[in-house]
Amino acid sequence: MGVRKIDVALCNGCGICVDHCPMDVLRLDPETKKAFIQYIRDCQSCFLCETECPQSAIYCLPVHERRMVTAW
Amino acid sequence: MTQEVRVTDIDVLVIGGGLAGTYAAIRAKESGANKVVQVDKGHVGKSGNSCFGAGVMHVFFPEQDDLEDRVRRLSRSLGYIAQQDLIQEHLEDSFQILGEMDSAGVDFVKGAGGEFERRPGRGYYPVVMFRGFQLMDAMSKAARKAGVEQFNKVMMTGLLSRDGIAVGGVGFNLLSGDFYVFESKATVLATGSTWYKGLLPGQRDTTGDGYALAYRAGAVLSGAENNDMLANLMPARYDIGPGMNKYVGEGGVFLNATGERFMEKYNPRLKERAGLRILTGAFCMEAKQGRAPIFMDMTHFSPDQVRRLKEVLPLAMAMFERVRIVEGDQFVKRIEWMPCAPVARPGLMVSNKFEASLAGLYACGEATSPQAVVTGLAAAATSGARAGRYAVQYAAEMDSRLLPDREQLEELKEVTYRPLQRRDGIEPDQVLLLLQEAVVPYDSLLLRDGERLKAALQDVEEIRDSQVPLLVAYDPHYLRMAHEAANLTLVAEMHLRAALLRTESRTALREDYPYMDNEAWLQWVLVKRRDGAMELWPEPVPIERYPIQVERSKILHHLWQTAQDLRMVTIQGGRVRWV
Repeated sequence: MGVRKIDVALCNGCGICVDHCPMDVLRLDPETKKAFIQYIRDCQSCFLCETECPQSAIYCLPVHERRMVTAW
Repeated sequence: MTQEVRVTDIDVLVIGGGLAGTYAAIRAKESGANKVVQVDKGHVGKSGNSCFGAGVMHVFFPEQDDLEDRVRRLSRSLGYIAQQDLIQEHLEDSFQILGEMDSAGVDFVKGAGGEFERRPGRGYYPVVMFRGFQLMDAMSKAARKAGVEQFNKVMMTGLLSRDGIAVGGVGFNLLSGDFYVFESKATVLATGSTWYKGLLPGQRDTTGDGYALAYRAGAVLSGAENNDMLANLMPARYDIGPGMNKYVGEGGVFLNATGERFMEKYNPRLKERAGLRILTGAFCMEAKQGRAPIFMDMTHFSPDQVRRLKEVLPLAMAMFERVRIVEGDQFVKRIEWMPCAPVARPGLMVSNKFEASLAGLYACGEATSPQAVVTGLAAAATSGARAGRYAVQYAAEMDSRLLPDREQLEELKEVTYRPLQRRDGIEPDQVLLLLQEAVVPYDSLLLRDGERLKAALQDVEEIRDSQVPLLVAYDPHYLRMAHEAANLTLVAEMHLRAALLRTESRTALREDYPYMDNEAWLQWVLVKRRDGAMELWPEPVPIERYPIQVERSKILHHLWQTAQDLRMVTIQGGRVRWV
């Protein structure tokens, strides 16, 4: 829900974001060797990918992707 | 075609990569285990709730705090149905554990003399603080240094047992889809509690997997109805994570829709710093009376305070800046605040040695029932350390290793991959949405009433019977989501059934049973699978064995008493009527 973009020009394909994503949202493209957002719907807005990216290639925004079911 | 990977000769298998599991793994290794394996469906140190811990830890300082008073306060906040001996052990262990974490490289806030600094947080005793979320980096590294073998991206889908003894577990890899078999002497569940993937960023990967594993393996669970916290409270319209403890510690206030600082009336002494249960109750009562939305106001903070928050909560503060709630060193807007999805914690019923009802199975952190281990990082660590140590003792006493039963293994394998075999069906997200609509609205599980609980249970049974059996997965990622949706449905059923059984207000408010009944309900609600059906029963708390006693009387719950004093409700015919 939070991850918005991965800058392919900056991504060096290290795969840290893919390994560390708690929701398994990201994947490495086998051909380009760049990370991409495969399962956006399952992103939990934890921002780990952004904070851990050594290239600062990832940008997240703390907004909900779909209307959340909330207390009221 | 998926491969089968066998990991054999494990002394202690730890499922879960948060602080409790990591501590269990470290302690197991330190206590002499040969082979300790830690499995996480995400990445050890990067999943669950611990790695997003908001910089605060509740530690007992032997030289400064009163042990009996702290046991009393925690027992009271757990509604007097705490396993008080475990609570006391946790407090006694916590200072040493703090020192160990400090040595492992956790970056705690310290005074000029190198002593741990303590500041006011939520609750009566001051808290210690650490910077950012490097806590789990340090602890995960400590585990690897101790020789723990970590398996990441492996989701566990079944526990293996032999003659009623846990002998390991099975799961699958999220990238390759491969089937994993772990053969162990002892197994420690450290899979946390769950929030139904609701409003709480960073905590949507804890989906009650451990509860489901244990339930299906026949272990006894408890506490499904009375969480040690009903729900957390969070920004309602943004995905910005934990930090409330610090905000209210600095003087953040809650205002309702009329601009009233309502916590002054619900708890005049602690106000916003009251316990989570009181805060949640107050939020729900305000909503019930039409005074939602509710806002957190920090616009009066000085630049110094904002800078201090940035130091302790760098991520949350950066996100507030990104959505223009913080500009420079100033909060420029109030923030709508709301209870998250209800916490569900049908945890494992554990003995004083953190052993579950199934031999060889242990639990720690929030995988245990709420009466055994309080929520929070300190208790995750202390319970993890003890579970790890006891698991090693058990493993060492086992003469020979029991190998898994091939038939059971094949059956678990078939169940694991079943959603992948379906060509069409219902997507996990659809099931999740229906489930959330049943359990997340505040008047379902936060502010309870028998009729509403029954209606929610009907919805959940419908999901269980007509949706879960059709869950479909397109690849191993969706397979994880399908198992999570199934596990959450099971958890919701336990949650609602246990809530219905407890006909009183204790840790949760019931409109139809507003009394805290210490004559009839100093009991735990236990749940177990028997002959394929869910069986629940109450069992008396052995309170006479514990240091803190409570009068055997039936009294109006203190929050209902407050509401009555404030003329919000009357009690008629044994139930609450809203004025």
